[in-house]
Amino acid sequence: MPDPLRLALAIAAKDIRAELRSRTALQSALVFAALVLVVFNFARDPTVLAATDLAPSVLWVTFALAAMVTLNRAFNVERENAALDGLLLAPVPREALFLGKLLANLAFVGTVELVTLPLFMLFFNVSLGRALPGLLGVTALATIGFVAVGTLFSAMAVRTRFAELMLPVLLLPFMVPPLIAAVQMTSRLLADRPLSEMWGWLRLLALYDVVFVTLCMMAFSAVVDE
Amino acid sequence: MTVASAQAAGVVRRGLVLSAIGLLALGGVYVLALGHTPVEARQGLAQKIFYLHVPAAWSALLSFSLVGIASALYLWLKDPRLDRFAAASAEVGVVFSAIMLTTGPIWAKPIWGTWWTWDARLTLTLFVFFLFIGYLGLRAAVHDPAERARFSAVVGILGMLLVPFIHLSVYLFRTLHPQPIVLKPSAPSLPPEMLTTLLVSTLVFTLLYLGFVTTRYGLALADEAREDARDAA
Amino acid sequence: MPPEPPQNGEYLVAAYVITAVILMGYWVALWRRAKAIVSGKGKT
Repeated sequence: MPDPLRLALAIAAKDIRAELRSRTALQSALVFAALVLVVFNFARDPTVLAATDLAPSVLWVTFALAAMVTLNRAFNVERENAALDGLLLAPVPREALFLGKLLANLAFVGTVELVTLPLFMLFFNVSLGRALPGLLGVTALATIGFVAVGTLFSAMAVRTRFAELMLPVLLLPFMVPPLIAAVQMTSRLLADRPLSEMWGWLRLLALYDVVFVTLCMMAFSAVVDE
Repeated sequence: MTVASAQAAGVVRRGLVLSAIGLLALGGVYVLALGHTPVEARQGLAQKIFYLHVPAAWSALLSFSLVGIASALYLWLKDPRLDRFAAASAEVGVVFSAIMLTTGPIWAKPIWGTWWTWDARLTLTLFVFFLFIGYLGLRAAVHDPAERARFSAVVGILGMLLVPFIHLSVYLFRTLHPQPIVLKPSAPSLPPEMLTTLLVSTLVFTLLYLGFVTTRYGLALADEAREDARDAA
Repeated sequence: MPPEPPQNGEYLVAAYVITAVILMGYWVALWRRAKAIVSGKGKT
């Protein structure tokens, strides 16, 4: 019986390769992200609202929406290929299956985020400089949180009648704590505030990740098994 | 009429009677609240919304917690009665949350000057409402009963565990963002008429919860009985 | 003479009416569902 971690990585690699071949999820998400950034930029009045006030919210709304688009597309492609059924027949531990899917989704959403970030800097005239490592850390933590719940819910949504509508409706409340924490921390990082001001939010994010990744991993078998 | 559907009809009838009694008792609460309690000096008549808003909050919280607990128990014990109960409790919870979300802003406007504020209570109610709606929407979208029960249970448990995080987020937001001082809606020590009215109202709302959930549970039983009879025919 | 409490009776009325409407409306909805099932079963 192969080591579950290696199994998870293998599953993740398979999904990533499949996505690299078709590129549907990544393309939609990237176009979407660019669109949102451009619209937000033209929507504000620069004399009234400084870029730095609005920037963290815009960035995270973009990330959140792009993540939802990516999650939806990724699972739809999976369903069309009926690949999941084959995997389920094999004696693969469900936790490894979830972990593999999670890693693949993180790779997709992470890619979108990494491409969005320079666009964001460009359109909003924000220099990241010293804030960059902190920002990358916050992005990673928050993304893990809502992609974990998103991976579980998209496995459910795909089996329902209104899959495209189901996922956002179910996922939205769960995205709120990581998003609020991420926006608050991003705002402070960009303003070069000391770490002490962000400590509470950081702990919230870390706790959220631990609780929900574990929970979703355990709940995955209840979703995919009869 | 089959045995199962006769039993279901009995449950439905009991539930309807119980909730009808609750509604009549609510009329009594209205009389108490409007006539018997004193008018609060700083807040005026609008303060009396308190006698409906707080018990509704209690019932919504009760509904929500029971959905979470029933969901956890269902995944462990796989008893369909738990799933049926969770669904009933969720639907009733939506009703009480709706009352909270309407009376809350109606109370807030004259007292705090604004329809909405992101304070802990209102924010949590809003999210519990969204979670309920998502839960019920999911149930409507899944056809197979066993799958529906499993999926709902997962969402129920995750939802229950989300609530402390929302609470924590609001708390962090408020401690790091000092808010303007607002009037607290309830006086620190309640005169006896106010306290008794509040307690009576809470009892009535609990009675309504029990009546409604019983009815809803019975209706689910009746639906299943009808499906089974149709399948057998 | 102590200050008059604020005149906000209309909010009170609105809240009490809405609550009553929601609760009674839900009862009626449940009752109608019950009737529909009973009459439906009669046909089966």
